[in-house]
Amino acid sequence: MPREKVVAHYDVVIIGGGAGGLTAGIYCGRARLKTLLIEKSLVGGLATYTNEIENYPGFPEGTTGIGLMKLFESQAKKFGVEFKLTDVKSVDLNGEEKIVETFRNIYKAKVVIIASGGRPRTTGAANEEKYLFDKGISFCATCDAAANTDKTVVVIGSGDAAIEEGMFLAKFAKEVIVSVIHDEGKMDCNEIAKEAALNHPKMKFIWNSVVHAFEGDDHLEKVVLKNIKTDTLIPIDCDTCFEFIGYLPNTEIFKGKIDITKNGYVLVNENKETNVSGVYAVGDVTEKFLKQVATAVGDGAIAGFAAEKYIAESEIFEEQILTQDLTVSYVYNAVDADSRSYLPTVEQFELENNIKVNRIDVYKSTGLADRLGIDNFPSIAFIKDKKVIKIIVGLPEKSELIANM
Amino acid sequence: MKEVILDCFGEACPVPLVKAEKAISTLEIGDVLIVQIDHSCAMKNVPEWARAQGYNVEIEEVNDGEWEVFIEKNK
Repeated sequence: MPREKVVAHYDVVIIGGGAGGLTAGIYCGRARLKTLLIEKSLVGGLATYTNEIENYPGFPEGTTGIGLMKLFESQAKKFGVEFKLTDVKSVDLNGEEKIVETFRNIYKAKVVIIASGGRPRTTGAANEEKYLFDKGISFCATCDAAANTDKTVVVIGSGDAAIEEGMFLAKFAKEVIVSVIHDEGKMDCNEIAKEAALNHPKMKFIWNSVVHAFEGDDHLEKVVLKNIKTDTLIPIDCDTCFEFIGYLPNTEIFKGKIDITKNGYVLVNENKETNVSGVYAVGDVTEKFLKQVATAVGDGAIAGFAAEKYIAESEIFEEQILTQDLTVSYVYNAVDADSRSYLPTVEQFELENNIKVNRIDVYKSTGLADRLGIDNFPSIAFIKDKKVIKIIVGLPEKSELIANM
Repeated sequence: MKEVILDCFGEACPVPLVKAEKAISTLEIGDVLIVQIDHSCAMKNVPEWARAQGYNVEIEEVNDGEWEVFIEKNK
C-alpha cells in the first residue's frame, strides 16, 4: 500500500531552482508570501554546469556557477523560502487553487511559477543509451574533466558551451576532437572562442560531421562519426564523449495544460504570465531571445512581483468586489483627467445611496478589470450574487447610475 | 522493505554513481537506498541516473553541502 500523500498549502510554489526560480523565490519571500521551491536535484540549475561565469554583473573578477548559485540560494533562504529536493510528478493548474504533486506530497498554492529549465539534448545516435552518465557519455566538463587527464575526448557541437567546455577539457586531456556539423571554419560559438579554439594545439576539428554510433564493451571505447556530405564513417577511439548540442525544455508535465510552442517552450507575456491565470514561467523554459543567468534573474524578479500582485488582487476581488449583495465598481485609469474629475460624482452617489463603490485604478495593473471582463476604461460595473449584472461604459450622469440600483 | 545506507561522503564523481548502481542491484523491490554524498557533481548524476531507471527519488540536504539521496527501488 503506498503511503498517503501529505498535503501542504502555500501562497507560491516555484518549480525549479535555477537562477530564475531562485530570484522569483527571493522576491516572493521578501513580499512575505509563503513560498516553496521544488528542485529535482542540485539547487542552482544549469549555471552549476558552468565553471566560469564572467558576464554576470557585480563580479568583475568572474565567479563560478556553483558559487554564484549558492549565494542566490542563501538569499532566498534568508527571506524564508522553503526548499524541497524532489521532482514534480504532475500538476493541475486550472482552478483558483493550483495543485503540484510530488512523489510523497501534494502542494496546494495560489500561484505556480514554472522555472523548470531544460536538460541536455542527446544526439539520438545508435547505442547512445548504453553509455549515458558514467559509461562514457557526459554533459558536464566540470564534472568529468579531471577523470580524463591525458586521455582522448570527443566533443559534439560548436556552440559557446561546446567550445568553451572543450577548451577547459584541453587543460586535462591529451587531445580534444570536436565534431562540427558545419563546413570547415564555420562554428556556432562567438568569434573570440572560435579563434582561440582553432589555434589551440590540443584541439582538432572534424567538419561536416554528426555522430553515427557509439561503441564499446562496458564503457564507451569508440565514437563513430559520419561525414554528412560523403556518408563516410569516421571511427575515433576515445575515453569520453561530451555532448553540447543544446537543451530541451522540461515541459512534459505541462503539455495540454498551458500554451507551449512546438519546440516545447512555455509562452509568456512581458509580465511572465502564461495563458492560465496565476501561472507564471521564467528562465530557460520560456520562449525567449537570450538565455543567460542575467536574463533569468530579470524574469524571476518580474514573476515574483507579479505573483504578489495577483495574490493581493485575488483577495480584494473575493472579499470586496465579487460579493453577494449589490456592489458597484468604478474602473478607471487615474492618468486620465476626465476619469479623475468623475471621482466626486462617485462619492456623491455613494453617500446618497448608502452603497460602497470600489474604485479600481487600472494604471498599474488591469488584473482586477480583467477578472470583471472589462477592457474599456472608464466603466462602471454593477455586481450582485457574485455576478456582473451590468456594465456602463463611459462616465454616465448620476441619474443613470441611480436608475440601475 | 529495508533501508540501506551507502556512505559516499568525501568521494568524487563518478565513484558515488558506480557504488549506487552496484548497491541497488543487490536490493529487492520496495527497498530504499540512501546515498550520502557531499560532492555537488554527484548531485547531478546520481538522481538523474536513478530517475532514468524509473525509481522514485527524493533528496534531503542534511547539512550545508551534504545530501542524502533516497532512491526507492519501485520496480
